[in-house]
Parts: sequence; structure tokens; C-alpha cells
Amino acid sequence: MKYSLKLAHLYGDLLNTYGDIGNILTLNYYAKQMDVQLEVDVISLNTPFKANEYDMFFFGGGQDYEQMIVSKDIQNKKQELSDFIEDGGPGLAICGGYQLLGKYYIGADGQKISGISALPHYTDSQDNNRFIGDITIKNEQSGDTYHGFENHNGVTYLGENEKALGTVINGHGNNGEDGGEGAIYNNVFCSYFHGPILARNGELAKKMLLIALERKYPKANLSQQKSLEIKPTY
Amino acid sequence: MTLKSSLAIAAGKSSYWFLHNFMHGGTSLPGKITLSIDPDVLQDLAKNYEIVIITGTNGKTLTTALTVKVLEAKYGAVLTNPSGSNMKQGIVTAFLTNKKGKNNKKIAVLETDEANVPIISEYIEPVAFVLTNLFRDQMDRYGEIYTTYDKILKGIKMHPNATVIANGDAPIFNSKKLPNTTIYYGFNQQADEEQMAPANTDGLLCPKCQQILHFKNRIYSNLGKYYCPNCGFQRPELQYQVDQLLEQTPQSSIFKIDGHQITIHIGGTYNIYNALAAYTIGSFLNVEPETAVNALSDPDSKVFGRQEVINVDGKEVTLILVKNPVGLDQVLQMIKSDQEPFSLAILLNANYADGIDTSWIWDGRFEDLPFDKIPAILTGGERYRDITFRLRVAGVPEENFEQKKDLEKVLEKIKGMPTKHVYVLATYTAVLQLRKMLAQQGYIEGGMD
Repeated sequence: MKYSLKLAHLYGDLLNTYGDIGNILTLNYYAKQMDVQLEVDVISLNTPFKANEYDMFFFGGGQDYEQMIVSKDIQNKKQELSDFIEDGGPGLAICGGYQLLGKYYIGADGQKISGISALPHYTDSQDNNRFIGDITIKNEQSGDTYHGFENHNGVTYLGENEKALGTVINGHGNNGEDGGEGAIYNNVFCSYFHGPILARNGELAKKMLLIALERKYPKANLSQQKSLEIKPTY
Repeated sequence: MTLKSSLAIAAGKSSYWFLHNFMHGGTSLPGKITLSIDPDVLQDLAKNYEIVIITGTNGKTLTTALTVKVLEAKYGAVLTNPSGSNMKQGIVTAFLTNKKGKNNKKIAVLETDEANVPIISEYIEPVAFVLTNLFRDQMDRYGEIYTTYDKILKGIKMHPNATVIANGDAPIFNSKKLPNTTIYYGFNQQADEEQMAPANTDGLLCPKCQQILHFKNRIYSNLGKYYCPNCGFQRPELQYQVDQLLEQTPQSSIFKIDGHQITIHIGGTYNIYNALAAYTIGSFLNVEPETAVNALSDPDSKVFGRQEVINVDGKEVTLILVKNPVGLDQVLQMIKSDQEPFSLAILLNANYADGIDTSWIWDGRFEDLPFDKIPAILTGGERYRDITFRLRVAGVPEENFEQKKDLEKVLEKIKGMPTKHVYVLATYTAVLQLRKMLAQQGYIEGGMD
């Protein structure tokens, strides 16, 4: 392979609800087609995340108990993760990962659980209700339609310099009120989508890989990579 | 017995008689009718029985069937609930319709849905609770394994004198101190080897200190000889163990429990756990090892019917239900052990009974399939696109790969597959639909009730 990228799978052994691993498998699938060797490290409890050692990250969701444990440990990684994000490093965060990058979310017993405020959103909870079902959104910038499956109690409100990953066409989205789903902040993409999101929406996987390649290889000619055709999978 | 209970039981029995004779079915309605007249009827029905409750995410049905088989070998007829009727109504029906055995010892072995353990525990006095495993099931069911375990514990706590018989390889069953006598079973079939579980494994937090568990021997998922390098939490002493694995094929497994050789006529490591659980329960109720070994080794089609082999124009088509990540992964490991080349069809629906979120297919390691030994692979069902991309990512060779959404066409394709062995992995409603077609074309009798 001509290029190589290193991905940090944040808390991959704790937050892995429903097919999250599929996002990494999908990234690897398209990476190969783009002549990229993708190396994956699980960065979990008590292992530091070093911003300069990684080209991208993936941060999945999990059960309440595991998320609570992660919310404590991730405070030790707050600085490096924020640096990476501010520097334009690409990442994908789903469900719990999405919530933990923000200011806070509400745990199962109603307690407020702190995130790392790397992104300016916050997440409240709904009373005895979950948003469950198939969802379709439209990314306003690219015009791409993304398909997924949402299953969340949390309602997320975006902050300054954050825009939604897409506008809800069918389904509920971040909070069922403002018509947005997910978040984009610098080169970090957040969503509640299961599916997994990258398996159903290969364009997003390609976009993330290209951002990582352009950061790591600023002088390379990536026209082959840019011209990769993503066939519909859903 | 109170008048109310007698009335309730009479109403339930007559409705069963009617449903059974005229409607060809009825496993939960009679119980429902009885319960509507007397909600506490189980108390009367279950009196004088030695009751074993079997619960857990996977393996309830086969563990129950094997346990009945082992116990009947010694004690004659044992009361049990039919496969899948594991909610309260189904259990009431089982007691209502039990034919009185000649034996003196009245034993009931009840497959019980996890959430129903505390509900029925209020009415009965079990001698044992058997805990097979707890994995993430479909998210739209009970959610988290810890919540599910708390529900089971709520039932167990009502009966401190009952014995808990638990899978010792599952860390969660060692996470809470219980006053009950506890018997653990598990695997001890090979020398220790330091390892960690793959990233998409559930339940890896040490329940004592919340660090990641390591393993000295890992059977699958988070089951094995776990230990915590941080605080020393570790697998408890096993009282019954698989101490040797001799041979595994998709149709059978040969292994030893405490030195006694057993052949079960069904593949899959997970089914060895089920046999081990049945052996342990048998021993707990004083069944001698030889009696249990013979009962478990009997190729009884009634017991092993769930994974059925159907003759389709001379092909041996094995139809396997897949419903959650760990189960799927175990089925993939099992069919991999076929010594002959085989064909494979994977049928994915996403109706409520299948699980409406198809993401779980990504937790099955399709990457491990021996694609060079599989000359034909087919995907089908309403959500064939999801499973098709899953297989592409896993590296399926395009020249051997086809997709057919429509199950009629899937069946035609299966008939033309190039190998004698064909495995069909299907979600619940896809199994029903396929079975209906197989019945219409005369390959099997009737549908699945």
C-alpha cells in the first residue's frame, strides 16, 4: 500500500454497541481501495491518547454502565483529544461517543455526566421515551442522503460553530425539535446513527479518509483516491 | 386449593382442550384465561414440585430440553414448558396440561424468560436457578445485561435457599454476592494462555474495580477463564467442567465432562455449554454420571430439532435461526468446522421479531469464513442489501456471490447449489417464510407453530 493511516478506536473494548465495529471494518474496506493501509489501536482505560500519533479516531456508544466508567477516564484524555480536534483531525463519534465529546449527558438514574466539552453541544434526556426507527437525513453541504437507524433517549442541542450532520427527512434526529441530526465540528462527525453509519453511507467514510490523507500527505496527488466510486449499499 | 383457583384451573384446562383439539395450538391462551380468573394460581399449581428455573440470553431452550432428558432418564416424566413459551402464561399452561406421571418425585424444569424470573418467583419455590449466560440481545428487548441481571437477581433474592447453578465462565454471574449456595460450571479444556477479548466484545469490565478483564482461556465472547490483572478478581472454582474437547463438526461435538465422554448430536461450542449445564443440574438432582452421559449422547431428534437438516432434492440443508451477535458469531464458528465444501445462504429480515435494527450483523466475524471452501454464497430477505455489504467487506469472492431478495427465488437457487451441504442462516421471520415454502413444496411437514 502506498499510504498508511493510524486510527484510534476510543474505548473500543467498552463502547461497542450494535455493530459499531462495522464502521472500522468499512473504513478499512474503502481504505484498501484507496491504496491505504489502515492500522487500528484500541485506546481504552488508562492508555493515553497522543494527538500526534493518530490520523483519525472512532468513538462508539455503549451501555450506561460502561459509558459512566468511560466518562471518568476520558477526562485524562481531554486535552490531547481537544488538541487533535482543534487541529482539524478527523473523527467519528456515535451515540455515547457523540455525547461524551460534548458538555454533558444525563445518565440512566438522572444524574448529569460530564463529557470533555471538546465540542459545544449538550445532551438532556426524555422522560420514558426513546427515538427508535429508521432515519434519513440530507447533508446540506454535499447534498448526500444518509440512511441509518436511531435508538436513543438522549436529546442533543448543538452549540456555537457546530452544524448538524444533516437535515432530517424521516425520523427524529438530535432532539425531535430543530430538524437536525448529528453534528459537524471542524473535521469531526457525530451522529446517533446505527447501521453502522459508514456501512450505509460510504461517501462519509471516503470523506473522512480523504481528510486524513490530506492532513498526513499534504503534497501527495490523491486524484485516484478522490475519484473512487462509492456504490450504494442500502 | 381455593375455589377461585379451582375455577381458574378448570377454565384454563377446558380452553386448552378446545384449542388443542380444534385449533391445533394454544400454548399461552389457556394460561392467560386462568390467570385472568386467579392471578395467584401458580402457587397452587406449582405446589409439591421440585422446580428448576432456567434462564439466560442464549441456550435456554436446549438446556431445558437436555435437562428434561437427563432427569427423565432417572425419574420418568418431568414437567416442562414447550420451547419458546417462556413467559408467565406459557408456564401456567405447562402446569395446567401436565399429565400426571407415575413417579413419586414431581419435577418441573421451566425455561423462563429473563424478565419473567422475578414475576414467577413470587408464586413458586424453586430448588434451583440456572443461569446460562447474559449477552446483549436485540436492543429493542431488554437492553442492558446489567439491568437484565438485576431482574433475575430480584427473583433469586426471594429464594435464598434455592441453589444457583451458573455458568462460571461468565464474569457477570460472579459480580454480586448472594446468600445462595452457588455451583459453577465451565470450560477447562486447555493450558492457560494469556489473552484479551476482541474490541467488539461485551461485558469486559471487572465488576470489582472497573478495569478491563484479561483471560487465561477464552471460549467465546466474554466467556472463559477471566481474571483482572488490577484487583485479582477471577473466575470462581468450577465444580463441573468440560476438561477435554475431542471433536467438533457442525452436526456433533465430542467432549469430556469430568472425564466422562459425551457425544451430543448438534454442533456449536455454545451447545456444549448447554449440555454441561444439563449435566450439572442432573448431578445436583442426584442423577448418576453414566445416566446423564447416555441421555445427553442420545441422538434424539425431538431435543435437537431446533437446528434442522432438511433434505432438498438430495442436499442436506441445515436451517439455523440467527438472532443476536453472539449467537450469529457462534453459528459462523460452527459451520466453519465442516470438513467438506459447503454452500451458504444468509437471509435477513428486519421485522419486529427479527430485530428492526440490522446493525448486529457487523458483530459476526464473517471475515473468518473459509471462502475458498464455499463455492456458492447467497444473500436474501427484505434487508439483503445490508447483509450483502457485510459480506463484501468480509471479502466474499464476487464470482461465487449472488443476491436474491425474494425468498421464492432463494429457494430455487438453493436447489441448484453445487455442494451436498448447504447452510441457511436466517432471522426469525425469514425462517418462518422459508419453512412455509418448504412445506408447500413438500420438503417438510407443516409450518412452525
